Amino acid sequence: MKKVVFATFVAFWSSVATIATLHAMGPGETAAAAADTTKADAAPGYTLEQVAQHATLDNCWMAVEGIVYDISAYVPKHPTPAFVLEQWCGKEATEGMRTKGYGRDHSPAAWAMIEEYRVGVLVE
Amino acid sequence: MALLPVGFFAAGLGAPDFTSASAVLNLLGRLAGVVGLALLLLAAALSARVPGVDLPFGGLTKLWRTHHLLGAGSLLLLLVHPLLLAFAASAWGQGLAFGTLFPPLSDRATWAGWLALLLMMVFLAPSFAFFGAPKYERWKRLHSLAGPAVILALIHTFLLSRTMPGPTDTIIWSLFALLGVGAVGWRLVFSRRIGRLPYTVTRVDTVADGVAELSLKPDRDHLRYSAGNFVYLTPFDTGLAAGHREEHPYTLSSSPLEPELRIAIKALGDASRAIQTIPVGTPVTVEGPYGCFFPPDSKARTAELWVAGGVGITPFLARMRHLRALGEGGDIHLVYAVQDESRAVYAGELRQLAAEIPGFALTFHYFFQEGPVTAPFLGTACPDLARREVYICGPLALNQLVRDHVYRAGVSADHIHSEEFELL
Repeated sequence: MKKVVFATFVAFWSSVATIATLHAMGPGETAAAAADTTKADAAPGYTLEQVAQHATLDNCWMAVEGIVYDISAYVPKHPTPAFVLEQWCGKEATEGMRTKGYGRDHSPAAWAMIEEYRVGVLVE
Repeated sequence: MALLPVGFFAAGLGAPDFTSASAVLNLLGRLAGVVGLALLLLAAALSARVPGVDLPFGGLTKLWRTHHLLGAGSLLLLLVHPLLLAFAASAWGQGLAFGTLFPPLSDRATWAGWLALLLMMVFLAPSFAFFGAPKYERWKRLHSLAGPAVILALIHTFLLSRTMPGPTDTIIWSLFALLGVGAVGWRLVFSRRIGRLPYTVTRVDTVADGVAELSLKPDRDHLRYSAGNFVYLTPFDTGLAAGHREEHPYTLSSSPLEPELRIAIKALGDASRAIQTIPVGTPVTVEGPYGCFFPPDSKARTAELWVAGGVGITPFLARMRHLRALGEGGDIHLVYAVQDESRAVYAGELRQLAAEIPGFALTFHYFFQEGPVTAPFLGTACPDLARREVYICGPLALNQLVRDHVYRAGVSADHIHSEEFELL
């Protein structure tokens, strides 16, 4: 038992070190952010009125921090019951993304996943 | 009980949890967290050491083993938990595994989890001898970090509160937390007030080099116990070189019919060495009794074989003293295995008791002459051992050796009882 626990302890720190090393060697955040901006500049613009026309679970658009997403395809995969998402469809949903309704931000993974559903940027 | 949160966890699962490899990794990561925390809280609940609660577990030493295994399982799962979640997140982009493990400082839930895990590594490192065999005092001090670790782990899960659907999450974890916190509360508050009986040292006899027997007079109520039980003893003497106000487990060597408690202590560490010369008149507290090595009334209804190794003789000595005090006999054979004659503590008294108790036979085994205890040795000393109830108390190696021998000789596992005094 002692050997198994110690081996797992060593494996844990090796994995954490590997993840940290890969992160340090990978492209920096600035590069990623720059890519984002370029993409945003070229993306089509939508007003909040246009976003509001997609306010059902089958056709669910949201604006989050100036970006517009069509998450209709993601709705069935979202961990919470659908009605939680429904109230944000067709709206400015930054608060929902950032607080989940109880003050807790979505995970970095969730922020990365939502990028797959980007359709454009929010304009006045 | 650890399966209870798993049941609710499973109830909250849906098809999306199985749609991709990363979703399954994420699911396993969360599951590892749920089961790991449940095991941690159960281990905490078992650490309460409420006298009597150890009996369904087969005595405190067996309960400690359960506690130890629960702790090991918990640490293994909780080490895997963040890694699986990080690997799952990495499917969504480079750097996300790192971001999952090391989010911004404002993510209190994750950092509470990290802190709990780091504390677990620190307080469990000596339990699993990561850096060599620990000293009892250091192990005990570090192990008290378990309290903050459990609280941080609970904060972690309450802040995330997404392991199970709806309010069940909060309810289940609150119940588990209550068990764990209740146990720690018992240890820190109630056991100190009502669980510990005050006694005073009245005699200190040096039985052999490095072995002393303390006699203790009750200041108030007398402890009720059975022969072979053990207690946690706390001496209060600032003059002691070590162990002042520290509790240590020792076996009672007296018969429950005696007016005073007797405790045999071998110098195995700093505190047990210092207590060898504790002055008469020192106040101590005694908490217990623990263990259920022998049947509670001590009577030998069936033929028995006892095998003692070194200071493991103590519970047998207590039972022999008790049998004599009761005027009872029995078909009992004691094999006492020691290094050499000078290490055979209580040899004189054991011979005398063996002569006085009807039906009692005593055989000495000297390691320096005969090597480890062998099956032929046991068979010659006690030819009918297969029909006997077997009791073994000694170092772990001897316990396992004798257990193997008597099992092969035909004694079934439920007729073999052993008590270890090495807890780690």
